Amino acid sequence: MKATYINPIYIAAREVFQNMFSIELEREDLRVDEKIVPNHVINVSIGITGDLKGTIVFSFPEEMVFNLVEEMAGMEFKEFDTFMASAIGELANIITGNAMSNLSESGYSCNIVPPQITVGLNKSFSTASKQILIIPIQAGNKNFDLYISIKE
Amino acid sequence: MLETIPDKRHQVKRNKEDKKVIWKDKYAIGVEVIDRQHKELFERFNKFLKVVRSEHSMEEKIDDIEETFNFMGEYVIAHFQSEEAVQKKYNFPEYERHHQIHENFKKDVMEFKRKFEEDKYNEELIMEFSGRILTWLINHVTGEDQKISKYINRKEEE
Ligand SMILES: [Fe+2]
Repeated sequence: MKATYINPIYIAAREVFQNMFSIELEREDLRVDEKIVPNHVINVSIGITGDLKGTIVFSFPEEMVFNLVEEMAGMEFKEFDTFMASAIGELANIITGNAMSNLSESGYSCNIVPPQITVGLNKSFSTASKQILIIPIQAGNKNFDLYISIKE
Repeated sequence: MLETIPDKRHQVKRNKEDKKVIWKDKYAIGVEVIDRQHKELFERFNKFLKVVRSEHSMEEKIDDIEETFNFMGEYVIAHFQSEEAVQKKYNFPEYERHHQIHENFKKDVMEFKRKFEEDKYNEELIMEFSGRILTWLINHVTGEDQKISKYINRKEEE
């Protein structure tokens, strides 16, 4: 998998977090794996079709999802429910959409498939390539991961 | 006549929550007429959200959901029109793209309205819609709409 896909995706995430939450993202060292085994409980997976094919999985700790959605909604939540899933799914959807329009500037024309949200560890995700790139990201005092599995 | 005993639990919770709003001053883009409208739009969305998220049963809150949804929907259309007029006035170069984004959002809202009218007590449908548009609205105002003000400010400096 080419590293050229990575930056447009990270830049899209950074911009959205900066605009919406005034949170400065910082990326840590890239990791490589053969499958997607998320570290965090709330996972949003988004399919990519077109010139590039594959999946991006946003893996968020539960506390971070609560913080983000509560900040947006101006109210407190007792448990992770459809509303929260939908709000965090849309966040991943927006970031991926922006990432794809960044990539279209490099000549790739892609579409995205609506987000799929899974809760819990030890869930598996099907992947398009044997090589998964993982971007660990620091968001304020929280961490989340982006799993990227894309092929041309 | 039976007197209904007000449910204190809901009232206390509601009052506490009413002080909080979705609108934040940091969402302002710096074009007064648009910011005023965004504030109004967020207030209307807030009303809808409070009803949707209240602990009342669907039967109890369905009328309020419908009323606050329509109240907000009306304003979405009026606001988009007005915001697009501002863009045109300043020859905003991304007008077409922005207009398309507004149109897609309106389609999404209409699609929800259609499904909602077919299946009024489907709480999952309402939760899915309201969670999604919460994120959508904040992203739109802090992302796309911010580009309008950046452009206008640059133009006025020239
Ligand atoms: Fe707009």
